[in-house]
Amino acid sequence: MSLTLALPSKGRLREQALEKMAAAGFPVTEPSDSRSYRARMEAEPGIEVAFLSASEIARELASGNLDLGVTGEDLVREAVADWQARMQVEARLGFGQADVIVAVPQVWYDVDTMADLEDVAAEFRSRHGRRLRIATKYWRMTQEFFSRTHGIQVYRIVESLGATEGAPASGQADVIVDITSTGSTLRANNLKVLDDGLILPSQACLVSSTGERSPADAALLARFAGAFAATA
Amino acid sequence: MTDKILSFLTERGCSVPRIGLLQPADPFLDTAGEDLRRRIFLTADQAGASLCLRPEFTIPVCLAHVADPREPARYAYAGTVFRQRRDEPAEFSQAGIEDLGDPDEAGADARSLADAMALLRHVAPAADWRVTLGDQAVFDAVIRALGLPDGWRKKLVRSFGSPEKVEGLLAALGAPRERANGLPPAISAALEAGEEPALRAAIAESMASLGFPAAVSRTPRDIAARMLEQAALDNARLGEDQIGELRDFLAIEVPLDRAGAALRAFSARLGGGMDRVLEAFEARVARIAELDVDISRIAYDAAFGRPLDYYSGLVFEIGLAGADRPVAGGGRYDRLLTLLGARQPIPGVGFSVWLDRLPIDRALKGDAA
Repeated sequence: MSLTLALPSKGRLREQALEKMAAAGFPVTEPSDSRSYRARMEAEPGIEVAFLSASEIARELASGNLDLGVTGEDLVREAVADWQARMQVEARLGFGQADVIVAVPQVWYDVDTMADLEDVAAEFRSRHGRRLRIATKYWRMTQEFFSRTHGIQVYRIVESLGATEGAPASGQADVIVDITSTGSTLRANNLKVLDDGLILPSQACLVSSTGERSPADAALLARFAGAFAATA
Repeated sequence: MTDKILSFLTERGCSVPRIGLLQPADPFLDTAGEDLRRRIFLTADQAGASLCLRPEFTIPVCLAHVADPREPARYAYAGTVFRQRRDEPAEFSQAGIEDLGDPDEAGADARSLADAMALLRHVAPAADWRVTLGDQAVFDAVIRALGLPDGWRKKLVRSFGSPEKVEGLLAALGAPRERANGLPPAISAALEAGEEPALRAAIAESMASLGFPAAVSRTPRDIAARMLEQAALDNARLGEDQIGELRDFLAIEVPLDRAGAALRAFSARLGGGMDRVLEAFEARVARIAELDVDISRIAYDAAFGRPLDYYSGLVFEIGLAGADRPVAGGGRYDRLLTLLGARQPIPGVGFSVWLDRLPIDRALKGDAA
């Protein structure tokens, strides 16, 4: 009987995840060597703890290599196309809040909504000889939001792995889809969020991977997850 | 099987261009849109250029024509294409014809529909078909005849073919729009005065001070023009009667032999103004009938279209009687070749058949290819 649980390996997310574990009655005994990526739970030896990067946790959950993980909902949704078939959000943990949003240059005074942006995208090619470009690291969510929710087809995604907010001013892209917690980076780059441009209010979640488990493991998973659903 | 299909198509006067399995991905994503990204098989070469497994033939055929567009030509293809699909295999076969550069619009449209039906009868002689025909140009003409403002006309034309989107727009256009006015004073003043040059100058100034280069994305001119257009729209409202007329139009569904008369009657209700488009529509119907196609068995559906910006006129879809999924789709895409880099506008019409959705005739299936 054993389950693998992955926690974020770095920074505030790691600290807050450890606090949350303790608060739910599952304190993690941190490794004596701080460089080690393994840890144990005295109260529940059936759960092995590993420390991984948050995005790796999402990917490993998607491929079924982990039973449980604490990671951002944005990363879970972006990891694979059919994430609901492979993973389940057991509890939202109340930290790591950040919104995935659509932002445009402040000087686009005529653009406040996705409907406005659709007009702009539709005319873009004839005016500029290219499609409207969106810089983002969230191409799945962007596509889902633009194409499915808002019926906007004509745009191009420019994959951006860092400093996405700078893309409009540097001319790499026209608009961005990015994550923001306080909005200060957006303001500093003179970008504004569209009125209906909230794609996902994200936060850290306890996520399980779907898949076959022994009855004992399934019961342990349910008991563990239940402790968080109650405190969340 | 694809060899036999190609020889059937070349007998009808088509040439066969060489289209590689591996294609640059950008032309597909640029034209069909990013939604295609999750359905194609993307890869990259060592230099980082995006490539994909051929997801369809129309765009590569058009690109080949754009590279050497001297003569109008009809191109045939048949072969494997690759797309990630929910309930169907990712590797499947398509065949079709693209007719590029023929100025005789009605004739080329009719021939495309007739060729599609002939190819279907050839590969699946035992099947029974349903054929649906629509026309993007007729919808455009109806909206013009209704006298809607430009901004709305463009929005409606773009959503044609997507019933939910058209409905959503009709609801939105009938309701007043509240716009939060958080504009800088200089811009707000110029907008209220309706002074384009002043507005443009104020926007340019604010772009410069906020650090946005003026020439790489939307320009002060673009933003000013749309602000003025929107200000005009905010004060206008789509009338109940106009919405009613549009709904009545979209509900028209008649056999093609009676479609011309139905559209004439509708146009008369709007007080005319659709003559040129209706003449083209009727000319096309006449040319279809000349090709031994039973037009009483084709359904004209006024709401049938494709919400892709390069389709410009005829659209059609053929399915097996009693089944939902189409087995062939076609249409006129006069704006596509310019999108793909043609210097002069080149008219185009074509169709594609999903061979794997068909009950293929045994004689054709004989060989493994």
